[in-house]
Amino acid sequence: MEEKFNKKIEEALKSFDGIEKASPRPFFFTRLEARMQNQKSTWEEISSFVAKPMVSFACICLIVIINAAVIFSSSTSTNSTTNSISQQNNELATADEYNLVSSNFYEFVNTKP
Amino acid sequence: MNERELIALLKKKDREAFKIVVETWQGMVYNTALGLLQNMEDAEDTAQEVFMQVYESILSFKEESKFSTWLYRITVSKALDHIRKKKRKKRFAFIQSLYGKNDGQMIEPPDFFHPGVKMENKENAAILFKAVDQLPVNQKTAFILNKTENLSYREIAEVMECTESAVDALLQRAKKNLQKNLKEYYEKLD
Repeated sequence: MEEKFNKKIEEALKSFDGIEKASPRPFFFTRLEARMQNQKSTWEEISSFVAKPMVSFACICLIVIINAAVIFSSSTSTNSTTNSISQQNNELATADEYNLVSSNFYEFVNTKP
Repeated sequence: MNERELIALLKKKDREAFKIVVETWQGMVYNTALGLLQNMEDAEDTAQEVFMQVYESILSFKEESKFSTWLYRITVSKALDHIRKKKRKKRFAFIQSLYGKNDGQMIEPPDFFHPGVKMENKENAAILFKAVDQLPVNQKTAFILNKTENLSYREIAEVMECTESAVDALLQRAKKNLQKNLKEYYEKLD
């Protein structure tokens, strides 16, 4: 029994003797090239997306809108500061007119003429 | 054109040079992958991945070893990655089947018939391939490189980055394990 198994095992181990090398199916390079072209890198995908005319036009529009918004908001803030400054000046002028505000140290000290 | 000139052109991403490289070494890469994976589609897929990596990382090839040795290393590593992925998928499918999510039964892979095996040896070779598939990864790699690629101990040592005596030990252990696996197989049949 043991001998029978040993014989079979030996036969199986010898079955690789004289094995020939296998080759891939024809047009391997063509299939490989097609696969490589399909597998674009992430950066290539991003750049090709950005290069689309619609995407670039939308980007330019967005930049223009952001710029316009910034300019508009800064001009309105300048106006409001100018308004507050002029209001302060008016208050000071009224105070001066009615001598409400002491402007310097001598007015406190030299009260007598 | 010699190998050096070819590699220099490939480093410049020359398409014709790449085509020559593929056509020269496709058989070697495919045959090695086929021996390790025992599936023609998987072997073709892996061979394509190998050449894609060659094209992308040719600049990292320092020409300290032979180009074929470098190719063998990439092929073995890609094939082993493929085996690992397949095992992971199998395990996941098994877990799913436990929870009843996977209705399909676990399908045993069919016997593998290597196209290069002589007609009279086909059946025995299929049994041997099954036994080879059960070997530990290092033993399997050394055995396939030795038997299907006819590489010498020295060449295998270069590919596996170990000593010749380590290769000898791996092949001895592979033979012992194969005898054990085959014995179990024939005992089950009897």
